[in-house]
Formats: sequence, structure tokens, C-alpha cells
Amino acid sequence: MLKHTHITFSLLLACQTVYAAGSSSEMDYYQELPVVLSASRLSQPLSEAPNAMTVIDRKMIVASGFRSIPDLFKLVPGMYVGYYKGSQPFVSYHGSPDQYARRMQVMIDGRSIYMPPMSMVDWTTLPITLDDIERIEVIRGPAAASHGANSTQGVISIITREAGEMGGTQLSVTRGGKGVNDVSARFGKRGETLDYRMTLAYTADNGFDNLTAPPNDYPITKSQALDLLYNSHDSNQARLFNYRADYHPNAIDRFDVQFGFNRNVKNVGWNDSTGNPVHDLFATAGFLQLGWVRVFENDSELKVGYYHIRHDQHETFLTTLLPQFIAQSVKVDRDEIEVQHTLPFSASNRLVYGAAYRQDRTDSQYSSLAPIAPAYVSSLSTAEWRLFAHDEWRITPRLLLNSGGMLERDGFGNNRLSPRVALNFHATAQQTFRTGISAAYRTPSLMERNFPALQPGELFVVNATTRSPGFRPERLISREIGYLGEFHDWNTTLDLRLFSDLLSDGGFQNTATTYTNGMSAEYRGLEATLKHSFNENSELTVNVARESASSNAAALAAAGFRAFRSACPGNNDTVACSTPRNNASALYSRRFSGDMSFSAAWYYQDAMQPLDRGVIDYQPIQRRMDARIAKTFNQGGGTKVDVALVLQNLFDAKYTDYVANNVFNRRGYVTLTLDW
Amino acid sequence: MSPANKIVRQLLQSILLLGCLVPVGYAADGLNVLLVLSDSNALYQNFANTYRQSLPVGVQLHSLQRAEDFNGQHADLVVTVGVKAAERVAMNTTQPMLAVMIPSHSYAGLLAQRPGNKLTSAIFLDQPWHRQVSFLRAVLPERRKIGVLYSTDTRLEIAALRSELSDHGFTLIGSALGSDDDLFTRLESVLTASDVLLAVPDSAIYSSNNIRNILLSSYRRSIPLVGFSQSYVRAGALCAIFSTPEQLAAQASRATVSFSQTRKLPDAQYPVFYEIAVNHEVARTLGLSIKPAESLRLQLEKSPENMR
Repeated sequence: MLKHTHITFSLLLACQTVYAAGSSSEMDYYQELPVVLSASRLSQPLSEAPNAMTVIDRKMIVASGFRSIPDLFKLVPGMYVGYYKGSQPFVSYHGSPDQYARRMQVMIDGRSIYMPPMSMVDWTTLPITLDDIERIEVIRGPAAASHGANSTQGVISIITREAGEMGGTQLSVTRGGKGVNDVSARFGKRGETLDYRMTLAYTADNGFDNLTAPPNDYPITKSQALDLLYNSHDSNQARLFNYRADYHPNAIDRFDVQFGFNRNVKNVGWNDSTGNPVHDLFATAGFLQLGWVRVFENDSELKVGYYHIRHDQHETFLTTLLPQFIAQSVKVDRDEIEVQHTLPFSASNRLVYGAAYRQDRTDSQYSSLAPIAPAYVSSLSTAEWRLFAHDEWRITPRLLLNSGGMLERDGFGNNRLSPRVALNFHATAQQTFRTGISAAYRTPSLMERNFPALQPGELFVVNATTRSPGFRPERLISREIGYLGEFHDWNTTLDLRLFSDLLSDGGFQNTATTYTNGMSAEYRGLEATLKHSFNENSELTVNVARESASSNAAALAAAGFRAFRSACPGNNDTVACSTPRNNASALYSRRFSGDMSFSAAWYYQDAMQPLDRGVIDYQPIQRRMDARIAKTFNQGGGTKVDVALVLQNLFDAKYTDYVANNVFNRRGYVTLTLDW
Repeated sequence: MSPANKIVRQLLQSILLLGCLVPVGYAADGLNVLLVLSDSNALYQNFANTYRQSLPVGVQLHSLQRAEDFNGQHADLVVTVGVKAAERVAMNTTQPMLAVMIPSHSYAGLLAQRPGNKLTSAIFLDQPWHRQVSFLRAVLPERRKIGVLYSTDTRLEIAALRSELSDHGFTLIGSALGSDDDLFTRLESVLTASDVLLAVPDSAIYSSNNIRNILLSSYRRSIPLVGFSQSYVRAGALCAIFSTPEQLAAQASRATVSFSQTRKLPDAQYPVFYEIAVNHEVARTLGLSIKPAESLRLQLEKSPENMR
């Protein structure tokens, strides 16, 4: 009590002014506050996740120096980032797929951008820029229980920045080699009940460099040389806009409104292609997403979401086959509604369950291909629903059981159950062991079921009638053992995953216009991520994956299926050959005094034969080093200027991406950013 | 029940018991207490109910539901609840006054309004800095850089907090927000240099409108926020130490009993009873292992600072 008296007297001496308005009162203590970090906002820590997960956060995004989203996945162990063309990237797990990469779910704020008719992601038409991304969670392994249909080999979940994350204006200009020309304006405002931000951007580049000499010293004929060399037509321009608002009228409700738009023009086609000559492909993509979250007294949370995506593409080109222009278009509409309830039964048990309904419509058409075919239109709709539940049970403080599943009826009437169970054991406060098994299915794509007889150009105008009605969903079963060591004293974390992923009922093209099941493959490997902070100002992330695959591809090839004809020297298993044995990446970043920062990234991928490419596209060992150096000039009053220089493929290592034509020589660009 | 909790309960019970044992005809008999609430809402009603229930039988209690209702009515002791009631009563009477549920920094201003009046005391709403620092030490012993964002015209004793922190090996990473400064620019600069953000009752910063983006900004950087009320913990703060209206009422009733016996008020005091709340969901997400609230309380009560 003596102390209190003393404080009272010192207060008396210190504050001679009378009590002023604006000072704190009991209302500061007893006011009701909104539940900000409710269940759906909190991300699961790695030590509690039921799957292996790689998180790419803002710091890593900036340090990587990348200017396109797919490239970021080079920082995930075991990922393959490929480019059919500079304007047509794709991302997959477990080696190279074909250029559509259909076995991974990709979401932006829970909105699936894995779109028909190809069941692929059109990365260049996303209405967001890298600067709009808060973080990316990459789940390595099936995760249907938590991420819905088609979360087969893995899930990429992109989380954009909150509406209230930015207050002010940012202008950014990037200029560099190979036509790199990006401009963006971002604006954000925080209010009492409404926060919003918006981005207006233009991005452009001229894709890859030209191949100027035969790849891998491969002997080519003169006519082949004419087709192969100097055949990189892959410039890309996107104009995009996005808006996000967060309206929070009271302490328990939160509304999220987002919409965006991207107008993209990309150069596609090849010099040497009769059906797909060099031309422009136009895309217009837009979305509207509405979300409502309510938090109840018992801390349960109800989340209702709806979104609409429209993705239109069209192209007009002249081939040597026909005397007139061919015009074709594919328009896709998607509507989805999802309701999810998070229910904490107790401090140690929480259930997340819900239902969703999705409708996809694909309208495709081509003009008359007379005399080969008349004008053609197809309009196809599919509707699917799913029920899901996921329970998180802390049996003891050391033992966590994640169990759940998804029951779906896909757009083609297939009913499937995708269960997942994982047990996390916290051996010590810093070390966790995880073992899990999960299964997921991939719904056939419209393209595979309704394969068109004619495919001029870039787009697939799908057939109105189903040619492969019996084509079933592919199944993936993953078994894994994980280890996570979080050694705070050493500022180090080590994340390991030992896995066996079994693909069965795998689909492949068995005739000119049909697909069938029958491929099976097993992928086994070890993935590791090591993160270390040397001090407050420098960090290192190292990813390593060692993987092997085996499949029945050789048997299928022997049975005459062209899809599995091996182009791989000395190996009949084309699946095994398309899976790089080792892949690795490292990202080091360091901040210096004087607001300087430096980062360097290194990427390695073993030699491989891309799955459906010819021997000429063989990918030798890929090594690449990127570096970024930046300085911030603080002008005071919240105004700052950032200047950054990025050099990619610093040592000009020769490598190609998926297709031999895709040559990536050293290039650099400078970004100037003004914030106020 | 943990021993700590037991002690608190026993204390509370002894207060109640004391009230019952006061013999009729003793000093408490006929003590006329006027309770002036700042407002009639549930917060003050909870206080009033607990206070009424824990007073000895002989005390005559009258209540005013709103500060404005006080016009100098006579009483042996006026007990005010909240800042508004305290100000109203201080201005309008020279009767003995116990101001409960007021921030410690507003007490000097209150005394200035009653010059020469010895019969004034208070039970503060806020926790003393030493308790707050002991709490930080118990919850996050490894995190030593404590970010504190406050407005330039705050009346909080930031210098006292700074020295209390440095006495225990912590560093205060402070930033004063002027009226022309952008809150979030300042917040970012504090977050960059800190590993805990300590919220302080400064309504220019920690308002219900700002709290969402303050919490989101700190969460984005994986920096826990330590709040000062139950609602902070529910909103997403890692933890908080605070006193409930009921706890303040119990303490006020103890002071009232003492006044009835001695006609003297104890010195102005900080809360004796307090609660600790931890948001374990947030702790897990941030990868922090936090002891249960009861163990934290025990640790706090054992700490030498608490003996002062």
C-alpha cells in the first residue's frame, strides 16, 4: 500500500492539469470490441496442420524479385513450374504434367480459379498483381476435407491483402529487358465501418528469348531449324483492376466485397504450325465475390460466401488450311455458394462443417470451317455439390487428431468420398511428428469428356456430345510422415515430409477423341524446408526435394497408347522420366543500414523429359540465380520512395522450360515505387 | 481450484463475513452511502449489485442511476462509479467521496477540483505498471522489446512504464502519435522494432474503430498484442490482465466498511483483485506456448513486485 500512496503523490505532482476531455475512461476498458481474429482469419500453425504446407509470405514474395505469380512456386519443394509459352505458365506437383496441369486446386480467397473446359488455371488472366497478395499457402498432398473438390495432388491457396491493410496511395513503375513494362496504382482507405483498397495495373512483357541454336546439340534438319529456331511468340499484356472492401457495421458481422477484371492479350501459336499459327488470344476475365461472417457468443462462426467468375476467350486467325479467317470463342461462367460453420465443442475440440453448390457453364463456338466443318456452337452446364466436415481434436495437449472428409457429387453424376485423417504428436514444445493419410479425386474435365474432333488455334471448342461418358474421376491417396522442428533458440525451423502418393484411375487420351482411365503411378520422396535467421536482418530458406516415380506407362505404351510413348533416353516409363529426381531452391535476404536490402535466390532442377513433349524438348539440369537489391528513401510525413533492381538468371545459365523454344537468358528490370 | 483463486475467494468471503458481523449500533449502523453511477447500463448495474450485496446490513444505501441525477444530495459517503459520475460529484459537493472505476491518471485532476478536501479517495480501474510488467514477464519471458503506441496528449505515465520495463530487462519501443500523424504508419514503425505490442488505454489510438486494423497489422507480422480487457482477448489479443466491475465493487465495499469504522478513507489504490485472460487460439496460431491463466496468476502473485 505504501507503493500506491507513493504513486498517488507522484501522480499529483506530475499532472497538475485538470481532467481533460479525451482522456481515457472506463469505456476504454469495458467497451465491446469486434471479434477481429476469428476462426476463419487465423491460419493453422504448421505444427498443427494435417498436411505438409509451404507458406510464401510477403517478405519472400518481395525478396524473390519475381513479377509473375506462378514463378513463386519455384520456392516450394517438389513443385514444377513450366511454361508452354511465356504467356502460358502452369504449375504442378510431382513432375511435369501436360501443359494444362489439371491435378492441383488453385484458389484466391477461397474462390476456385481452376476453370473449365480444360480444368486448368489461366494464370495470366488473374485480376490480381503480386502486390495484392498477402501470402500463399501451398498444401502438398490431397486436402479435399478443407479445400473442396479437385484438391488432388495439392492446393494452392492465395490470400490477398485485407481491405484495411493499406491506407494511402502507391504508384509503381517497372521497366526492363524483354519488354518488361509494368505500371500499377494502388489506393486504400480505412474508415470507421468500411475499409477498402483498389488496384489498377498494366503488365506487359515479351516472354522468353528466342532459341538460336539447336537445343542440347540435338541434330536437326534445316527445315526443322526454320521451325524451331527464332520461334518465340509469347508477348503478354494485361490490364487489370481489383477492388476489395470490408464492411463491419458492428462487433459481430463482417462483410467482404471483392470484384476484379482483367483484359489480357497474349501472343500464341507457332511459326511451323498449320492449325495454330502465330496470332493473338484475347481474354476477358472478371469476378464478383461476396462474403459474410458472423461470430456468435459461444465463439462459433458462420461464414456464407458467393462468387461469380466469368472467363471469356476468343481468337481469330488465318491458317494455310482454309481460305478464310477462323474465329472461335470459349466463354465460361461459374457460380458458387458455400456455407460453413465453425463450432468449438470445447477448448480441445472444434468442428468445421458445411455445404457448397457450384454451377459451371461453358459456351463455345467456332465460325464456319467450310469446307471441313460447318459453324459450330456448344453450350454445356454442370452442377455439383459437396458436403464437408473437418474436426480438430486435441486428445491431450501433445496429441492432435485432424479428421474429416468431403462427400461430393460432381458435375457428371459421380459420387465420391474424400477422407483425411492426420495425427500430430508434439514430442516436445519444439518438435512435432505428423502422420496422415488422405484421399482425393479429380473430376474429369469437360475437355477430356467432350474432346473436339477439330482443334484449330489455341482454344478447345468442346464437343456438344460426350465422347468419353465412362471416363471416371482420378484418385490420389497420399500417405505421409512429417516432422517439424521449431528451434527458437537457434532461430531455425526444419520441416520434413516423407511421402508416398498413389495415383490410380489416371486418365489419358486413348484415341483421337476419347479419354480413358487406367494409368497408375506412385510418387515417393522426401521434401525438406530449412529456415534460419542469422540475426534480425537476415534470413535463409532452403527447400530440397528428392523424388522418384514409377508407373504402368511402359505397359500402356506397349499396349499401343501413344500418350505414353517414351521420349526418354533409356527409360520406358515416361511418368518416371518426367519427374525430376532432385529439385531445390534457396532464398537469402538481408537488410542493411540505410534502408538498403539485398536478396538472392537459387533454383535447381534435375534433368527431365517433360511428360508429353518430344525428345527435342528434353530439359537438362536447370540452374538459375536471381538477385535483387533495393533502397528505400524516406521522405518524411509517410512519403517514401523505393528503388529496386532485379537481375534474373544472373549467370546466364542455359536452360529451357518445358518446351525447347523457351529460352530464359539473363534479364533485369528496375522498379520505382512511390508511397504516400 | 488453484490456490490463487482460493485466496481471492477467501478474501471475498471474509469481506462478506465482515459485513455480516458488524454489530447493530456499531459505526456501520446508520452510515448513509450514496452510490452515483455514470450511467444505467449493465456495466454499472453489475457493479451496483455486487456492491449492494457485499455491504454490511447497517449501511443505508441509495443509488442514483445517472451522473446527472446528482445535485448535492446529502450522504455520509458518496461512492461514484466511472469518470462521469466522479467529475459530477467532485464539482458539486464537498462530502466525503470514493471515486471507483476511474483511470489512475485522472485522479490528480479530480483532486484539483476539491482543493483542501481530505476526504477523497479512489479505486482505480487500471492495473499498476509493475503488475502489467510482471504479467508480460510471466506470459512472454523471451520477448523483451515492448512496443507501445500512444498519443502525444496522452495522460498515461509512459516514462514510469519505461523505467518499470527497463528495471526488469525489457525495452520500451515507444512512439507518440501526433494529431497530424498517420496511425498506421506509426504502428508499422513500432511493430518493425518490437516483439510484443502492449495496448494502453489511449482512446485516440485504441478505439473500437481502430482495433480491427491494429490487430490485423500486428497479426500479419506475427506480433502478439497484449490488451487490457476481456474484450481485447475476445477480439484477438493474446492476453490481458484486468479487473471486472464486480471485483472493483468488492474492493469498494471493503473501503466503505473501513470508512464506516474509522470515518477515514484509505489511500487511493489500484485494483486488488484482477483477472487474467488468454486467447489460446491466437497463441497457437502465433506458435506461442502460453501457460494457463491460473498458472500465470500464481506466478504473478509470487513475484516480488506484487509484494510491494
